[in-house]
Amino acid sequence: MGLNKRPSLALEALLILAALAFLFPIFFLLEMSFKEPRYFFKPYELPHSFYFDYYRKAVQDMDFFTGLTNSVLVTVGALGFAIIVASMSGYVLSRRQERLFRYAYLFFLSGMVIPTVGSLIPLFTLAVKIHLMNTRTLLVLIYTAGFIPFASFLYAAFTKSIPRELEESASLDGCGPFRLFWRIIFPLLLPATGTFIITNVYGIWNDFLTPLIFLNQPEKMTLMPQIVQFMFNKQSVNYGPVFAVSVLAVLPLVVLFAFTQKYMLKGLTAGAVKG
Amino acid sequence: MSLSRKQYWIACLFLLPALAIFGLFFYFPFLQSIYYSFTEWNGIKAPRFIGFDNYRYLFQDAQMLDGMKNTLKMVVFGLIVQNPLALLLALLLNRKFRTRGFLRTSFYLPVIISLVVTSIVWGELLKYDGFINGLLEPIIGEAHVQDWLGTVSTSFPTIMLLTQWQGIGYCALIYLAGLQSIPTDVYEAADIEGAKGFALFRHVTFPMLMSSVTIVLFLTIVGALRLFDLPFLLTNGGPGSSSYTLFLAVYNSAFKNQSYGYATAGGIVLALFIIAVTVVQLGITRKREVEL
Repeated sequence: MGLNKRPSLALEALLILAALAFLFPIFFLLEMSFKEPRYFFKPYELPHSFYFDYYRKAVQDMDFFTGLTNSVLVTVGALGFAIIVASMSGYVLSRRQERLFRYAYLFFLSGMVIPTVGSLIPLFTLAVKIHLMNTRTLLVLIYTAGFIPFASFLYAAFTKSIPRELEESASLDGCGPFRLFWRIIFPLLLPATGTFIITNVYGIWNDFLTPLIFLNQPEKMTLMPQIVQFMFNKQSVNYGPVFAVSVLAVLPLVVLFAFTQKYMLKGLTAGAVKG
Repeated sequence: MSLSRKQYWIACLFLLPALAIFGLFFYFPFLQSIYYSFTEWNGIKAPRFIGFDNYRYLFQDAQMLDGMKNTLKMVVFGLIVQNPLALLLALLLNRKFRTRGFLRTSFYLPVIISLVVTSIVWGELLKYDGFINGLLEPIIGEAHVQDWLGTVSTSFPTIMLLTQWQGIGYCALIYLAGLQSIPTDVYEAADIEGAKGFALFRHVTFPMLMSSVTIVLFLTIVGALRLFDLPFLLTNGGPGSSSYTLFLAVYNSAFKNQSYGYATAGGIVLALFIIAVTVVQLGITRKREVEL
């Protein structure tokens, strides 16, 4: 659509206004976390100084660093585990044509439309039975299970572009199947791994329902349910510390986003073309 | 054992971990939930088979009914508001604005903000004496200013609007990825043929974009059916049951009222909705996709 023409300035100004409106709540979040109690209930007043008291309170009262550690453990654990099992399954789903693999493909596919809300209760009883209730391991397993269909298809799509001759010559050189996969194939699937991470890291980090249901000890809680509980337990009406802790919880993702933004669009394009 | 036989078994070994974890932690609980949906079960006593009673009761329960109504509203809203707006935004963001990088970042940044934080920020902005009402007062008059999330008639529409803060940017990015994968020679050919403006969009861009349309529609619908976090955190379904969604009604009957059997029946109805809509939607859009 007129790709080579520069669009009008008026249109650009309009879009910039809309963009600022979209950014405003993020600015507001930041602003409220620095706003002195005196001005806190005046929505049009900006903070008069950098007031760090809410941050100090938040880190003390909420035990922010425990939450942060748990969130990092669960996020890295789930992404890492999903990458290991789904790269292997995606690879063979793309290479083998036998009936078993075609059925596995359909089995995974059906998982993409089934919502998990009804399964939460049986999952709860299962967790109790296998003694994984109230563990971060359980969260990793649940997230991994949820990722497997999407991640397998992603890896399967990227495997198609790797020439088979590579595997044949490697196995003629006496390379065993597992070494062949981890040493030769997996590194070539790096774009798939990157796409998977940058499109799914946010979902785990930001999830609060699963930890809310399956964890009940404060020392194991991840950040999002921790913030919700912190908010509900607060006696005072001043939400300053809640805003401060929200800023801290969002910050790692914003940093990650800043570094990966340009790959995000590329990753999605690759997924769309290959899928 | 022959070489090909051996290779087959090794491939099976590669598949096994994914199959086992997916089966045990995703599929098995789902299949169990089908059985539990026909029982009366509170998690303590053994489940008792009661046939279709749970399903019958679903359609008499105010929370479930309001939940279903609102969930359907969200699906329709997603299809006719979010989806066209996202496409429009993507078409704009694909043009050569001087501030293109800034624009793309601004519209996409809200997507990475967690719904917990989103509801904290918007809850504050939408307070009765908060920022939004201060802006609205001179425009719509003091008499019309209200607690948008605390009023029966406006609570759910407000939540639907809030979903757009993240929904539009998310869908626009997928459309943008689709737009960028259209080869430029298609446009060159269209230019020679003299196609311009809306005709160009209607006959060239849109058909080439159909696979993105399929993905976005799927994500919009499934996202709408799973709407839970915002109503849970902002209104907890209230006031009354005006902002319940089906997901929230299921959650509350399970983890508040311990009616596990009943809650799983609600979950199955939600699953049936999602599956039915997906099948119909894929049937319609897949046919129109153009192979590149």
